[in-house]
Amino acid sequence: MVSTFHGLEVAKRGLFTQQSALYTTGHNIANANTPGYTRQRVNFEQTSPFPAASRNRAEIPGQIGTGVQAGSIERVRTQFLDDQYRGENNRSGYYEAMSNAMSRLEQVMNEPSDNGLAKTMDRFWQSLQDLSVNPEDSGARSVVRQRGKAVAETFNYLANTITTLQKDVKNETDVTTKEINSLASQINSINKQISEVEPHGYVPNDLYDERDRLIDQLSGLANIDVSYEETPSSADPLAMGKATISLVDENGQALTPKATLVDGAQNTVQEVKVNYSTDNPALVSSVSVGSTNYTMDEFSSPGKLRALMDVSGYENSAGETVGVYSNMLHNLDTMATSFVNQFNSVQQSGESLNTLDNNDTPPAFFSLAGSTLKDGVQVGLSASLDITDAIKNDLDNIAASDASALAGNGDNAQALADVKEQNDPLLGEETNLNSFYEALIGGMAVDAQEASRLSNNSQTLRQSVEESRMSVSSVSLDEEMTNMIKYQHAYNAAARNITAVDEMIDRIINQMGRVGR
Amino acid sequence: MRVTQSMLANNMLRNLSQSYGQMGKYQEQLSTGKKISKPSEDPVVAMKGINYRSQLTEVQQYKRNIGEVHNWMDNSDSALDKATQAMQRIRELTVQASNGTYEEGQRANIAKEIRQLKDHLASIANTKVNDKYIFNGANTTEAPVDQDTYTVNNSDSTVDIPVSAGVKMQVNVEPDQVFNQQLFDDIEKFADALEGTGSDEDLDQYLDTFDSHIDDIVNTRADLGARMNRVDLIEDRLSTQEVTASQMMSDNEDADIEKVITNLKTQESVHRAALSVGSRIIQPTLMDFLR
Repeated sequence: MVSTFHGLEVAKRGLFTQQSALYTTGHNIANANTPGYTRQRVNFEQTSPFPAASRNRAEIPGQIGTGVQAGSIERVRTQFLDDQYRGENNRSGYYEAMSNAMSRLEQVMNEPSDNGLAKTMDRFWQSLQDLSVNPEDSGARSVVRQRGKAVAETFNYLANTITTLQKDVKNETDVTTKEINSLASQINSINKQISEVEPHGYVPNDLYDERDRLIDQLSGLANIDVSYEETPSSADPLAMGKATISLVDENGQALTPKATLVDGAQNTVQEVKVNYSTDNPALVSSVSVGSTNYTMDEFSSPGKLRALMDVSGYENSAGETVGVYSNMLHNLDTMATSFVNQFNSVQQSGESLNTLDNNDTPPAFFSLAGSTLKDGVQVGLSASLDITDAIKNDLDNIAASDASALAGNGDNAQALADVKEQNDPLLGEETNLNSFYEALIGGMAVDAQEASRLSNNSQTLRQSVEESRMSVSSVSLDEEMTNMIKYQHAYNAAARNITAVDEMIDRIINQMGRVGR
Repeated sequence: MRVTQSMLANNMLRNLSQSYGQMGKYQEQLSTGKKISKPSEDPVVAMKGINYRSQLTEVQQYKRNIGEVHNWMDNSDSALDKATQAMQRIRELTVQASNGTYEEGQRANIAKEIRQLKDHLASIANTKVNDKYIFNGANTTEAPVDQDTYTVNNSDSTVDIPVSAGVKMQVNVEPDQVFNQQLFDDIEKFADALEGTGSDEDLDQYLDTFDSHIDDIVNTRADLGARMNRVDLIEDRLSTQEVTASQMMSDNEDADIEKVITNLKTQESVHRAALSVGSRIIQPTLMDFLR
C-alpha cells in the first residue's frame, strides 16, 4: 500500500528535477560565448520504485514509480577530440612561430628587389667595370669606393638586423617560458581545488572546463601528454581526477629522463627554464625542467618554445650552431669572407696608381677587423665589414692596373669585377658569390614556404578538429530554447499534478463520509 | 552533425578573413605589378629574379662600356683621318719639291710648311680625349711625343675594354704603327734636305718613304674600321640581349594584370556572397519564432 502523499512526493521530485534542468539550461545559455565552456546536461534518473526488493512484499500489484531525480550534471565532451585538438594545436604552434620568423627574415633580406644585397653587389660590379674603362679617372675610383662602402654597409645592415631579430626571439622565448610556467602553476592550483571537491562526491564541471582550456593553451607551446590520477573511492564515477602533465617528443614518447611539468599525485609543479650559451648569449645551450637539465638534442618536444629556439639558434651536442637566424648569419659571414678574401687578393696582385713606379703591394680594399677566424670563416665579418683606412684616405690606392704598371691599364679592375663570378671552395663546389647568394635566398624561400604551408595545414586540421569538438560541446541556443520549453512544460505539468493530487486528497479528507448531510 | 550558432559564426569569420586575405594578395599584385612580394610565395621566381636582374645589369653595363669604346675608336679614327690629310699634304709638297724647277728660297719655304706639318702630326699623336692620351697605349697619362725634340716614347700596350661576358675589345690603335720615331725622323730629314743642310739624296726617294708611312696609317685605319664594325655587331647583339633579359625578367615576375583583375572581380563577388549569406544565416534563431 503506498502512502497517501506518495503522489505529492512524486510531483515534487518532478518539480525539483525539471527546475534543476531549467537552471542548467540557463547556465548553458549564459555561457554560450564563454571560451572553453562545455555545455552541461542534467542526467535524469528514475528514483527507485516502491516497494524495494528487500522489503516485505506490500500488497500491491507491482512496483510503483516514485518519480525522477537529477542523477548527475555532466559535461558533454569527447576526450578523444581533445587529444586530437592538442596534437594539431601543437603542430600549428610550432609552424606558426616558424613561419612568422621566416617571413620576418624574408622582409629583412628583401629579395628580389632593387635595394637588396644582390643589387648592391651588382652596382659595385658596375662601378668596377666603369673603372676598368677609365682606370685613371678619380671620379670612377670614387664611385668604386662609395659602392664598396655600400656593399659593406648592406652586409652590416643585414647582420645587425638579423641579430636584432635574434634578440626579439630571445625575448619571446623568455615570455613563452613564463607562459608555460604560469599555465602549469594555474593547472596545478585547479588540480588542488578539484582534489578538495571530488572526495565529497561532487563533479566540478566548471573547474574541468577551465583546466581543459589551460591545457589546450599549453599544448600550443610544447607537446604534452596528459594523464589523470585515480580518484578516491568516495568520488563520483564521472569525476576526472587530478591531471599530470609531462613533456613528450614529436612521436608522443616521454623525454628521457621524464619531464613532468605538473605532478597531479604530489600537487607539484616543475619550472621550465631556458639556459643560454656563455660564449654567445643569443644561443640556447640547454633547457632545464625542475632540476633536470636537457641538452637541445634531448629536449625534443615540438611547439612554439622549440620553434623559437630552432629559429634563433642553439648549440647541439656536437658543439655546432643550428638555427634559422644563426645559419643565415653564418652564411652571410661565409659569403663576406669569401668576397673579402678574393677581392683583397686580386686587389693586392694588381698595381694602384701609388705603386705603378715602385714594386710595392697595394693595400687591401676591405678590412677584416672585428672578426675572428674559425674553420675558414671570419665569424662576425658581415657585421663589422668596412673598407680599409688606406682606401678611405686615398682613392689612388685602388689597384685598377695589372703588372704592366700603366695608368691606363684597367685589367685589374676588370679582374676585381670578375670576383663575383669566381668559384671559391669555401662557398661550395663550383659555387661563386652570385650562385651562393641565389642558393641562400632560394633555400630561405623554400623553408619559408614550407613553414607557411605546414602552418596553414595544421591550422586547417586544428580548425576541423575544433569544429568536431564544437559540434559536440558548444552551446546551441536553439537547442537550449527547445529544452527550456520542454522543461518548462514538464515543470508546469508537475505543478498541475500537485493540484490534481491536492484535489484528490481534498476529496477524501474533506468531502468523504458526508452522505445525507 | 550537430551545428551550433557559434560554429556558424566562427566559420563565417574564418571564411571572410580568408576572402580578405585573397583580396589583399590581389591588391598587392595590382599595386606592385609583381607576382610575388616575398620569396616564399614562389622560391623559383625569386631565385630566377635575382639571376635575371644580375644579367640585365651586366648587359646594361656592357652597353655603357660600348659607349666608351665608340669614344676611343671614333676619336682615333678622326685623328688618323687628320694625320692622313697631313701626310697627303706632305706628299704633295714632296712631289712639288722634287720638280727640280724650284729654287732654294722656295724649297726653304716648303721646308717651313713641312716642319709645321710635322708639328701638326706630333700634336695629333698627342691627342687627348677625356684627359687621356689615346695614342700611347695604356700609358694614357703621358704624352707619346715630345713636342720640342720630337722624340717618340710610346707604349705598345693595348687598351682593352670588356664588351660582353669574357670578350674584350682592343680600343686603341697601336701608336708605333703610325706615329713612330721613323716618321718624325723622315720628315725632319726631308726638311733638312730641302734646306740643303741635310744629305744630298735625291728628293724623289722621299716619295716612297712617305707613301709607305701613308700606307701604314691607312692600314691602321682599316684595322680600326674592321674593329668598329665588330663593335657595331656586338652592340646590336647587346641590344637584343637587353630586350630578351628584360622580357625574361618581366615574364618571370611581373603580374598578368588582366588575370589579376579578373581574379579580383571573381573574389569580390565571392566576398559579397559570403557577406550576404552571413547576414542571412546568423540572424534568425528560434527565439524569433517563440512567444
